[in-house]
Amino acid sequence: MSRYILGRIASTGLVLLGVSVLTFFIAHVVPADPVLVALGEHAREDQIAAYRKAYGLDRPVPEQFIVYLGRVVRGDLGTSIRTRRPVGEDLREFMPATIELGGAAWLVALLLGIPAGILSAVYKDRIFDHLSRLGALIGASLPVFWLGLVLLGLFYYRLGWFPGPGRLDVALSPPPLRTGLLLFDAALARDGAVLRNALGHLVLPALTLGLFSTAVIARMTRSAMLEVLYQDYIRTARAKGLQERRVIVLHALKNAMIPTLTIVGISFGSLLSGAVLTETVFAWPGLGRYATASAISLDFPAVMGVTLVVALLYTLVNLGVDLVYARLDPRVRYE
Amino acid sequence: MRALVPAIVTVLVLLTVPTVGPTLAATAADTLVYVADISDMISLDPAVAYEFSGILVAQNTYDTLVAFEGEDLTTLKPRLAQSWKITDAGSSWKVTFTLRSGVKFSTGRPLTAKAVAFSFDRVIALNKSPAFLFKDVAGLKEGDTRAIDDRTVEVTLPKTASPQGFLSVLTFTVGAVVDPDEAMAHQSGTDRGEAWLRNHSAGTGPYVLERWDTESRAVLTANPNYWGPKPRLTRIVIQHVPESSTQKFMVESGDADIAANLTPEQARELSAKPNVKVQKGGLLQLVYVGMNAKHPPLDKVQVREAIRWSIDYDGIVRSLLRGEARKVQTIIPEGLFGFNSAAPFQQNVARAKALLREAGVPNGFSVELLVPTGPAPGGVKWSDLAAKLQSDLARVGIKVSIKETAQAQLLNIYRAQKGQMVMILWGPDFPDPDGNATPFSDYAAKSIAWRNQYEDATAAALAKRAALEPDAAKRRTLYRQLTDRLLHQGPYVILYQPTTRFALRSGVQGFVWNPMAFAEFRTVGK
Repeated sequence: MSRYILGRIASTGLVLLGVSVLTFFIAHVVPADPVLVALGEHAREDQIAAYRKAYGLDRPVPEQFIVYLGRVVRGDLGTSIRTRRPVGEDLREFMPATIELGGAAWLVALLLGIPAGILSAVYKDRIFDHLSRLGALIGASLPVFWLGLVLLGLFYYRLGWFPGPGRLDVALSPPPLRTGLLLFDAALARDGAVLRNALGHLVLPALTLGLFSTAVIARMTRSAMLEVLYQDYIRTARAKGLQERRVIVLHALKNAMIPTLTIVGISFGSLLSGAVLTETVFAWPGLGRYATASAISLDFPAVMGVTLVVALLYTLVNLGVDLVYARLDPRVRYE
Repeated sequence: MRALVPAIVTVLVLLTVPTVGPTLAATAADTLVYVADISDMISLDPAVAYEFSGILVAQNTYDTLVAFEGEDLTTLKPRLAQSWKITDAGSSWKVTFTLRSGVKFSTGRPLTAKAVAFSFDRVIALNKSPAFLFKDVAGLKEGDTRAIDDRTVEVTLPKTASPQGFLSVLTFTVGAVVDPDEAMAHQSGTDRGEAWLRNHSAGTGPYVLERWDTESRAVLTANPNYWGPKPRLTRIVIQHVPESSTQKFMVESGDADIAANLTPEQARELSAKPNVKVQKGGLLQLVYVGMNAKHPPLDKVQVREAIRWSIDYDGIVRSLLRGEARKVQTIIPEGLFGFNSAAPFQQNVARAKALLREAGVPNGFSVELLVPTGPAPGGVKWSDLAAKLQSDLARVGIKVSIKETAQAQLLNIYRAQKGQMVMILWGPDFPDPDGNATPFSDYAAKSIAWRNQYEDATAAALAKRAALEPDAAKRRTLYRQLTDRLLHQGPYVILYQPTTRFALRSGVQGFVWNPMAFAEFRTVGK
């Protein structure tokens, strides 16, 4: 098992190398000049040349890449062209907001998607199933940006049930910065008002971001459950006189979870891409906003930094999912 | 199984039941919440900030020696300097300022002439984005600003720089005075406090920076040591809300007092609401088409004049921009000293055709028009503007092919003098006519005239003379001559000067947008 994990971690290194090669060269074939974006239309040629030199952009692209890679290995992601700060520092600042939002959205997706899928399968072709499938279809088709605006318009603007955009009301001051995760920091500071308010601010963006994954997870859980529910061992379990709840939760669900887990792992990627739009609508100061702003400004170091971090997170999450397989299914062995 | 159903219902209820109760109907009485896209905020140090939102904060936390107040960018007003005079010292200009007495920094230390010299030298030494205004526009070097005594500052400018232009530069945050002791107390390496001043303030302005959370909000509180009239509101929250629809929700629901980035449609919608009012704000940008003066047949003055007579300017302002712009046809925008209100051109097909005949192209010609992607100032898409121009020019026989390209790429082509016709915008770097006159007139300045291969020695000489002229009346005459000349000779079609718009809660008063793209919050009340 530990050899397997070590192997996977080593292959993660290769994945990251591949991702960085691709991103770096794609970024450099874009027919536009990041220096002009940074300095604006009024910049003179000598200022442009000085800037190019300062950021090493005057060297050949392969050389730039090797220099970049050398720095990354030493833990230096370079300096952002746009914010003019170390990319690592920027990521540390924006990452927690996205982790908080993504985590909450993931929770929404799991808590709504899995039970909805199970119930749909158990009550196949009954009214709940129809409603749940319709809901899943709608959830999977709604554009995140639109959904965010509608939820905000309805629950914040019309009904006033939830607070507006941002992570915290204007009247409240954030707690002392420790983890950057507002909920944790508020809890550590024992600041109940901030904690409640931050939770309220989290609901609408988490629903917006989580709905697509909820739909996908619900559909996958349903089909996996249906496949399992008609297997012989389920019939045997029922024939033994086991309670239906035990049959479903202990026997069926455990096996149906394997394909569902795969989707849960993959949905992490869609959460990260959805975060870009959700963060824009809800003025959420996270990685998605940072990535968009960096991409628009052709801020290569920042785009590379975000890509590497996201790729790392994605591979780690999927490694975690693979390890959970082994727990769920004794047939899965990692040597 | 039955246990699952209540669990799901509980989750659903938890997710939809209010967790914090209804949102507040209004912001606190002593606080102004200003929502805007502040993603460009990268430093609040006046020697570094050169982005709209950074400048907005720095203009409120620091003071300059002189200022343009409100919407008027033509009359210099005293600020930290009580008075000033320009003297011709033979080989240089001397600009001498007498400082206001009794002014203190927010730190409690007194304002001195040495602080001014320190601040100006600091800008030059740090050499960040706005430094070119001191180094290139004013020709300043470290040591050129001297404290004569505690209240007298003397700046020595080279004869090649414009003293009036320098005074205009000083109204901008680059001329802000920083508390030297505070900056140096936080020096790291040789940065003269730059890292610390990125998110702290040490000025004499009406507000102090309380905190700045990147991509989230900047909070200002009233400066207890402020020398001027007490600000009407004690707390200003500049909240980052990138999406304009969200800004609209916030100002409508009372969670924001001012929304800064609304589309014209949203503003129109809001103007019908009872608790919100919409206010326009001036901008100094000009949207124009540059014509490459070496590209035949655009090299003929008559052809360029024919193009100017082909365009339906009123239609652009009225229909495409729905009034979100002013018709301006000269190279200095309305609001700046030296503005020339002449706007002779309006669509006149017969006249344009006659000019084309005179130029030897009676049947018209084909030309490529480069336009950026995305929205143009005033809320219209660049591509829609281009389509309008295409149809207007088609009426006189000029066949325009539109090439839409990302602005950064467009600038590459434009800067390499490879555009035929290029539609783009220009805003001056500092509130002085020279911020437009030299770029549009002087080929050697390697700016707009150069990009359009327009070499006009007369225009360049006029721009230089006007820039250096210390006498206001004479200067105005020179700019009149220059703008009149370029109106007909130049390779430009000035299309319009855009305006911007704000939605304000109806109780908000005293909000004035300075066309250099900032507001002074000290006058705002509610």
